[in-house]
Amino acid sequence: MSEELVKLTIEGVEVSVPRGTTVIEAAKEAGINIPHYCYHKGLPIAGVCRMCLVQIEGAPKLQISCATEVAEGQVVRVFGEEESKARSSVLEFLLINHPLDCPICDQSGECELQDFTFDERQGQSRYNDFPKRYDPAEQFGDDVMFVANRCILCTRCVRFMDHAAEEPVLNVSERGDRAFIGMHPDAELNHPWAGNVVDLCPVGSLISKDFLHKARVWELDHTDSICTGCSQGCNIHIDTREELVVRLRPRANEDVNKFFMCDEGRSNYRWLNSGDRIEAPLVAEGGSLVASGWDHALARVAQIVKGSTGDAVVLASGKSSNESLFFLRELFGEFDLKAHFRNFTVDGELPLSGVEGLALREERIPNGTGARQLGYDDSFNGVSNASIFLILGDDLEGITPEMLSGAKNFIYVGTTLPEAARNADVVLPATTVAEEDGTYVNRDNRVQRFSQARTAPGMGRPAWWAFAEVLKELGRGDAVDTAAEAFDAMASNVGAFNGMSYSTLGKNGQKLAESSAGVSK
Amino acid sequence: MAISVKVMQRKNQEISYLRAALKGMALTFSHLKRPSVTMQYPEETKTEDWKLPERWRGTHRMLTDEQGRAKCVACGLCPQICPANCIKLVPGEDEEGHRYPLVYEIDEFRCVFCGYCQEVCPEEAIHVGQHYENAEYSRDRFVYDLERLCAQTHPVSTLWDPSDARGE
Ligand code: SF4
Ligand code: SF4
Ligand code: SF4
Ligand code: SF4
Ligand code: FES
Repeated sequence: MSEELVKLTIEGVEVSVPRGTTVIEAAKEAGINIPHYCYHKGLPIAGVCRMCLVQIEGAPKLQISCATEVAEGQVVRVFGEEESKARSSVLEFLLINHPLDCPICDQSGECELQDFTFDERQGQSRYNDFPKRYDPAEQFGDDVMFVANRCILCTRCVRFMDHAAEEPVLNVSERGDRAFIGMHPDAELNHPWAGNVVDLCPVGSLISKDFLHKARVWELDHTDSICTGCSQGCNIHIDTREELVVRLRPRANEDVNKFFMCDEGRSNYRWLNSGDRIEAPLVAEGGSLVASGWDHALARVAQIVKGSTGDAVVLASGKSSNESLFFLRELFGEFDLKAHFRNFTVDGELPLSGVEGLALREERIPNGTGARQLGYDDSFNGVSNASIFLILGDDLEGITPEMLSGAKNFIYVGTTLPEAARNADVVLPATTVAEEDGTYVNRDNRVQRFSQARTAPGMGRPAWWAFAEVLKELGRGDAVDTAAEAFDAMASNVGAFNGMSYSTLGKNGQKLAESSAGVSK
Repeated sequence: MAISVKVMQRKNQEISYLRAALKGMALTFSHLKRPSVTMQYPEETKTEDWKLPERWRGTHRMLTDEQGRAKCVACGLCPQICPANCIKLVPGEDEEGHRYPLVYEIDEFRCVFCGYCQEVCPEEAIHVGQHYENAEYSRDRFVYDLERLCAQTHPVSTLWDPSDARGE
């Protein structure tokens, strides 16, 4: 696409867009959402639904804006009488077959058929005596259910499987008024990225069995976050209902995941609702851990740090935020520090082959890059002769108590208390990625923000806050109250993050400086 | 010091109560001959010229289908619209894959009997009823569960007069 700009007027708003842009995209620039069904920015253009009809001055008939390129001096009308009438007629045809399922349909509330029907005030069809009807529900895959009656044949799902997943298992079977979405008889919709058809489907025809009947969408709160499933770092929404995470959905980011996320990432949310959380700071007294307040526990950690010298070992979870990792390093700045993070890898990437640079990656942690940038490595194999050993957020799976026993002082900071950490001297309750603000760095060195979606149970606080408090107690720093302050402190200390600030990272993140290699202090 | 009081002298027929008493009793006795208008509640709950209005909004009732199942499909609209936040709904799925209310409770104590739930219900399932006798021995009995809502038999409210939907 050349960068030559074309000027046109849409509904009286003048916009300049690159040559080759479609009218529907140009309208977005003008702040106008032209109603559409088959068009999706992440899929090839089909032009089958006729919902996006607009008037282009000079053209003999209405044009579909999703497949019409802009031209110099075009004058486009979207909401005139003729265009509205065309849309109403399209809706009327769709409503011949579409059942009045809204009360029991999971899509209700985020359904484009509902929205546009409402906008156009076209609630009725004059022809509704012979709707086509199918079996109520069909299982397409492990998580995807197909309710054929609701389908409006936009073919987004077919195009996704053909061109994005490149596993063409869906098609439009039959023709004309008998057409329906069919699946290859010997196949299932179980591609590792198949769940995206649920988001793509503009109506409640393809729905997620996992989310079925769990909540009505108008009860949900949506929070911008980052998937913790792998180093790709897909942008997501965390959808919560009364403090419970009920689903994860992809959030568009052209530079990372386009409009998609994999099924592995999508289903990876139950741990965020886990009930076995540490709810208060615990301090060892007379051989057992006793619940205490933050002040007491932090003073205890400060006392341990102050009274020790020599070797310190830390083991951080791969889900730790940059901010926590940074303040953890700061805390042990006067020690000979061995900093490790825990990595999990699985052989073989699972790409979404039709989309460049998008795959479920082998490194199944979200912040390996951030940890490496901050001087952590993934070669932990036990502690010996250390004066302090600190674990941050790791669940210690696959680690034996013997591997942890070689330190004089043992501090555990995390969300749940694994068996192997029960002999810790101090335990601090931390927060999960859904309960704090912070940043991760993905495999392409993109620093991305995530935000708090639910409140932490009990007295849980972000680990960076706790470490900064200890530093303050030791007289080596000021209190840090927000993730923005924490990030900015890191950015001015660590070379790779130099010049960045939390507020300018924005929703789409920002890449690290090219020549950044490790910590420079 | 004594105060001098002037005593008015009136005629006897002016200060006698007899006339007024007889007049009052005449009125009282004349009522005996008139038809009674007192409704003998609770033996009687309606009379010829007074009954509960059709648009009375009282204790709820859940209507059922031919098989006796609640008509509710757990769409979630009534808990959403309820201004008193007194409807509790947990949706579930039955053996045939139909959506139905696993838990459906209305706290009649918190309800303000606005009738919005009936108005919003797409299935004509939940209704406010023409009913007002709600005495119970304990507060928690006022939380009606689905079974109890379905078991109510009183007539349901007509939120508006169909022939005069705008109330004009
Ligand atoms: S199932 Fe959904 S996405 Fe697929 S054609 Fe039908 S409406 Fe479109
Ligand atoms: S590819 Fe990785 S980051 Fe993206 S959704 Fe899947 S697990 Fe999450
Ligand atoms: S009548 Fe009004 S307050 Fe009572 S349950 Fe219905 S919506 Fe809620
Ligand atoms: S509005 Fe009607 S169908 Fe929906 S949950 Fe309430 S009672 Fe059930
Ligand atoms: S969106 Fe243009 S024809 Fe469907």
